[in-house]
Amino acid sequence: MQSLSWFVTGPFIYLAVLIFVVVTAYKVVGYANMPRHLRWDLYPVPRQGQEGSKYQKVDYSKMPPFVSAFHEMKAISQEMLLIKKAFDHNPQLWMGTFPLHIGLYLCALWLTCLTLGAGIEMADMVDYNSANSTLMTAMKYLTLSSGVVGLTAGLIGSLNLLWQRYTDEDLRCMSDFVCYINLYLMILLFGTGFAAWAIADTEFSVIKHHIMSLLQFKPGIINHASVVLELLVFGIFLIVLPFSRMMHFAAKYFFYHNIMWDDEMMKPGSKMEREVSKYLNFKVDWSASHALHQASWNEQVSPAQGKGGSWTDEETG
Amino acid sequence: MKKRVNINEFGSAESCISLLGAEDLLPLPGESKEQFKPVKDSFVDKYDFSLDGFSALSLPVPKTKDEEQAIVRTFLQGLEKLFDKQNNWGFLQPTTLSTSYCMQCNTCNNACPVFIESGRNDIYRPNFRSEVLRRIYRRYFTSAGKLLGKWGGADLELNWRVVYHLAELSYRCSVCRRCASVCPLGVDNALLTRELRKLFSQEMGIAPDSIHKSGTMQHLKTGSSTGMGRSAFLDNIAFIEDIIEEKAGKRIKIPIDKKNADILLIHNAGEYISWPDNPAAFAILFEAAGLNWTLSSESMGYEGVNYGVWYDDIQFARIATAQIQAAKRLGVQKIVVGECGHATKALVSIADRILTGDMSIPRESCLPLLESFVTSGAINFDPSRNNFPITLHDPCNLVRLMGIVSPQRNILRHITPPGQFREMPDSGINNFCCGGGSGFAIMSSHNFPEWRNSLSCRRKARQVLDAFKDCLDPAIPKYYCAPCSNCKGAARDSLIEHFGFKDKYNIIYGGLVELMVNAMANMRQPFISWEDEF
Repeated sequence: MQSLSWFVTGPFIYLAVLIFVVVTAYKVVGYANMPRHLRWDLYPVPRQGQEGSKYQKVDYSKMPPFVSAFHEMKAISQEMLLIKKAFDHNPQLWMGTFPLHIGLYLCALWLTCLTLGAGIEMADMVDYNSANSTLMTAMKYLTLSSGVVGLTAGLIGSLNLLWQRYTDEDLRCMSDFVCYINLYLMILLFGTGFAAWAIADTEFSVIKHHIMSLLQFKPGIINHASVVLELLVFGIFLIVLPFSRMMHFAAKYFFYHNIMWDDEMMKPGSKMEREVSKYLNFKVDWSASHALHQASWNEQVSPAQGKGGSWTDEETG
Repeated sequence: MKKRVNINEFGSAESCISLLGAEDLLPLPGESKEQFKPVKDSFVDKYDFSLDGFSALSLPVPKTKDEEQAIVRTFLQGLEKLFDKQNNWGFLQPTTLSTSYCMQCNTCNNACPVFIESGRNDIYRPNFRSEVLRRIYRRYFTSAGKLLGKWGGADLELNWRVVYHLAELSYRCSVCRRCASVCPLGVDNALLTRELRKLFSQEMGIAPDSIHKSGTMQHLKTGSSTGMGRSAFLDNIAFIEDIIEEKAGKRIKIPIDKKNADILLIHNAGEYISWPDNPAAFAILFEAAGLNWTLSSESMGYEGVNYGVWYDDIQFARIATAQIQAAKRLGVQKIVVGECGHATKALVSIADRILTGDMSIPRESCLPLLESFVTSGAINFDPSRNNFPITLHDPCNLVRLMGIVSPQRNILRHITPPGQFREMPDSGINNFCCGGGSGFAIMSSHNFPEWRNSLSCRRKARQVLDAFKDCLDPAIPKYYCAPCSNCKGAARDSLIEHFGFKDKYNIIYGGLVELMVNAMANMRQPFISWEDEF
């Protein structure tokens, strides 16, 4: 039993972290390297500030783009921290999703504090649980409060969302199994974390020392079943996360910055122009009769150069 | 009749999976609803009406197993190509992200005018068709879906009915993107609607005839989606010069094919045929402002529309490229697109990233230029000439999708007396579609116009009534200003003819330039009339 516990809290956690990092990086790099798509912006674009869209000006293409980092930061902060669109357009959902996300943010802070604390202790400096300095005391209480509040908020939020899925007929009819699996996983994640704190680790010292052993690549054995369970669920969560739609935390960046707020114009001699020129030579394989088969995009728009003759003479579907 | 429709039953063999009844629609004030006309049995035998009792595509019912299998096979081929870099580089990233990350929270639902006005019919949810697409994609193209089935979010078995229902359903959304604007993540279900239309067109040759065969194909062949050739265009210009002479009291020679002009003005050619007062008003304003401008009589040079933007990237690219080439041959400094939302978005915004090298000539909406006429004092306006209630429609393509919000309002404030211009509820970027967006205004297959006029345009009708609620008395003439040809088409067919707003409330519709000319101080007679319009 002890070796199983050691495996779960040691090698399994390493594996989970590795999978999470590698798959997340693979996906993010994959999205980032996709071809620059056609314009598909959606207004308002916050970085245009109070000036608004440049399309509202005569000869806009001769004007330098107006960029307001403040307005962009304000909009993205409201969206990330407060989930403003859900608050504005779906307040019922917000009642669940806001505490869930605040719970996640606080738990991320909690893990960061625990890891920092473990690092400080590893460097033979001090255990903040027994230190007297103001800074260490602040860190202790920050760890405690972010952990307890984060786990509680996350649990409340995920339970609320699950309750909504079951009781709201409209949500139910649109939900697939994965929705429920994800929510149960979140409930388990926060629930086991909360239980481990309440039952065995009220100061988070057990988990902190275990993190220290993991950082030293000498994973120890945890003798508290609730903490082992907490780590097992955490490991499963890390493995599932990058494969699931819960990875929207990374996708959201692309949705906002690369699609809705991407108002960059084509400029002669630009990198974008060079990239697009390359894309226009991609071969097209669509089968309808009006498409020229195995012709490039350039050839599709220039029938004289195309392989399939004039596109205006094609049969139509 | 409204009933619950589960996604995994989307391919059921019922005669109609979610029949829309007139009684389901949210009532409008003062409306006496009539039942939808029954579809003839001969049509039902021949074409597929099994989604909601309407047909936008005239899809022929397959007769054999082979035909059924071919529908499924070609659909899957097309679906694979949607996620392929070579075949869909232009929308690969947004399509992939919107397919992968919907959390099924339904926030988009209340943003959709079709879903709300239908009495919340499940199949019209903006995320319904996307969710069908996602489940098929997972089932056939992801490891989780293949291995885990419903546990991997892939609980929909594909058959020809699913494909047909999805094809029809892709023409029950006007791609206004209001749903995307409220999504906390940025998932764009409207984009997926367009991607579905693209799959059906580019792979399966399925598209509404009005948009493809007598739309983009005719456009590329004759130079205009209306089929208007050069000589007909020139005849129309002569007719418009007559209109100007009659209304303005002096003849204007409209410049045609003027080389090296500052501006090539390009209209939706539908204006020349259906609303010639609109290009006439442009000519009056441009001449009064002393602009160096021209129209083109060359094929592709006098037609601003690009229906490809609604359903087909190949057709879109062909038309946009040909329009730019026509402008280049004239040597103009820039193109200004008249009052047409989709044409403006297509040529100014979306085409931007396919126009490389010397193809990248400046392109603008007409609205900022028109605004400059009132702010610069280039033309003298007398606001008292527009002394009637006016409300403004915000075309989705110009407003939510290009951010052009203030010029038209600034113009109206200058050319109307205080208190006569009133915003409708949900104006600006929160606007609702006119109901004719994404091709709906020109689609005429079977009973589709009945669906459009009674459901798709219903929210706009409600907004217009709300904007004029203090002056609905027909003794007071009212003007619904829609600076977009497509939106005017929807207003004509739905607000005026279907809902009877002219007869009941004395509301007429028209563009912005007509109001501007109506307010010009030196016009000898009103340019707008409630008597001889429509």
